[in-house]
Amino acid sequence: MMKWIQVLWPSFLIAGIGAIIFFTVVDPQELYFMGEPVHFSLLATYSIGFISLWIICAASSLLTIFLQQGADELNKPQSN
Amino acid sequence: MSERKQAAVGSDEKAVNSQVPNSLYEVRKKLHVRSITGAFTNWRWILVWVTQIIFYGTPWLVWNDRQAVLLHLTERKFYIFGWVFWPQDVFYLAILLIIAAYGLFFFTAVAGRLWCGYACPQTVYTEIFMWIEEKIEGDHNKRRKLADAPMSGNKLAKRMAKFGAWGLLSLWTGFTFVAYFSPLDELLRSAASFAFGGWELFWILFYGAFTFIFAGFMREQVCKYMCPYARFQGVMFDPDTLVITYDEERGEPRGNRKKGVEPRSVGRGDCVDCGICVQVCPTGIDIRKGLQYECIGCAACIDACDDVMDRMSYPRGLIRYSTENAVKMHWGMKDILAHVARPRTLIYGGILVAICLALLFGLATRSDLRVDIIRDRASLGQELSDGSIENVFRLQVMNMVEQKRTISIDVAGLEGIRIEGQTTIEMPPAGAESINVQVRAPVSAAAPGSHPIMFTIAVEGDDSVVVEEKSTFIMPR
Repeated sequence: MMKWIQVLWPSFLIAGIGAIIFFTVVDPQELYFMGEPVHFSLLATYSIGFISLWIICAASSLLTIFLQQGADELNKPQSN
Repeated sequence: MSERKQAAVGSDEKAVNSQVPNSLYEVRKKLHVRSITGAFTNWRWILVWVTQIIFYGTPWLVWNDRQAVLLHLTERKFYIFGWVFWPQDVFYLAILLIIAAYGLFFFTAVAGRLWCGYACPQTVYTEIFMWIEEKIEGDHNKRRKLADAPMSGNKLAKRMAKFGAWGLLSLWTGFTFVAYFSPLDELLRSAASFAFGGWELFWILFYGAFTFIFAGFMREQVCKYMCPYARFQGVMFDPDTLVITYDEERGEPRGNRKKGVEPRSVGRGDCVDCGICVQVCPTGIDIRKGLQYECIGCAACIDACDDVMDRMSYPRGLIRYSTENAVKMHWGMKDILAHVARPRTLIYGGILVAICLALLFGLATRSDLRVDIIRDRASLGQELSDGSIENVFRLQVMNMVEQKRTISIDVAGLEGIRIEGQTTIEMPPAGAESINVQVRAPVSAAAPGSHPIMFTIAVEGDDSVVVEEKSTFIMPR
C-alpha cells in the first residue's frame, strides 16, 4: 500500500499542477501530435495531457523508490 | 574499549531500527472509530453542511442566464458570477492560490490544524462516510464484530448496503465535480439519456472512485502518509499556537476510581484512564502522549473527555485547546488571547491582508476590453499605386463582458494616417475577434524608418472604456 501511495500520489499532485500550468499557457488546439494538428476534443486533450503527465511523473517516483533501497536490502541473502 | 564497543553496538541497533520503517512499512490496523457528540463535533457538522451545500449547490446557481460558476474548459473561459476570466487572467488564479496559502499559514499559526479538523474535504467526507457506516453497521463495537466475523448473509447484506450508499454519494460527488468544468445542463441532458461523453463519464467515475476510496477506506492514512500539509504544518507552530493538549499535570497519575472519589485522596490525577479519547480519535493516536503529527486537531477527544469529566463531576478541560506556554505557565483564556498577536501572526496576517487588497484592486481595475496588436510580418511596408504606404496589422480584441458591443478603431501619430476599410466592429458577448487592419499614410508623412503610432479602441455608447495601444509604422526606403 505504502509503495503504491509513494508512486501514484506525488506524481498525481505534480501532474495536476503541471497540467493546469501547461494548458493555461498553451492552447491545445495549437498543438501538433505526430505531425498533425490535434483533432481530439478539448476535454479529451486535457485528459490525455494530464494522464500522460501522471504516467511520466509516476515513472520518476517509481525510479526514486527503486533507487532508495539501501545496501542492506540489496545484499540480503535470498530467503528460500 | 568497552565504551567504544558499546557505542558501536548502540549505533548498529539504531541503524537496524531506522531501517525498519523503510523496509517494513506500518501495517495498518483498521480503526473502528467511536462516534461522539459535543460542542466541537457540532462545529464540525456545521462545517460539513456549509462546505457541502456550497460544493453541491454552486453548479446549480444561475447568473446572466448561464451557470453562475463554470470553469468552462472547452471554451477556455472561467465564468464566476459577473466575471469572465480568460487564460490571460491566470495571474488572478496565482494570487488566489497565494491567498489560500497565507490563509492556511495564518490560521495554522493561531490555532493549529483548524483546516484539517473541520473543513478539509478528507475530514468532511470521512465524517459523512462514517455517519453512513454507523447507520448501517451499528456502533464501533458492532462494526468491529462484523469485521471480524466470517462472511455471512447478514454481513454481505450490510456491506452491500454500505458500499451502495457510499457509491451513490461518490457518484453524485463526481457528477458535481465535473459540473464545475462542463456545463451542468448538458450533463443533465446526457444523464437523462445516459449518454455521457466518454471523458465526462471517465472523470465522474474517476473523482467518484477517489471519494469512495479516500473517505471509505484510506481515511486517516491520507493525512498520515499523503498530505504534504500534515508534514510541514509543524513549522508554522510556535509555543503560543493553540493545539489540542492533554493537561498532564492535572491528569497524572491516571487510573480508575469510583465515582465521587476525590482523586488526590487516592493518589491519582483527574484522568480516569477510560481510553475513550483514544477510541474516538480518527487517526488512532493517544493524545495523552503529547502533540503528535498525526493529530488533525479535530477535537473529538476534547468532546469525549469533557463528557467523562461531567459524569465524574470533575471540571471540564482535562483535554482542551491550549498552548504550550499556557499549559507551562498556567495561563487562562485571557493570556492565551493576549498572545495571539505576535510577530509571526502579524506578519502572516499583514501579508494576507495586503494580497487580498491587491486582488480586490486588480479585479476592480480590470479592463473589460483587451487589445493585442501584432504587425503582419509578411509585408512590412508596401507602396501603393496612389503613392501612399500601407502597413498591415492584426488586432486581437477581447470583449470581456457578456454584452454585445460595437468597437471603433482609430489610429494617430503620423500626418494623414488613416485606416482603410471598416473601422467599427461588432464584438460578440464574451468573445474574441481577430481583425486585419490596413493602415495607410502618405509617403510625405515621415522619413524612411519606423515611427511610433497609437491605436485607440473605443466602445460605442460607453465613453469609460478606451484602450490605447502603441505600435510602429514602417516607411520603406
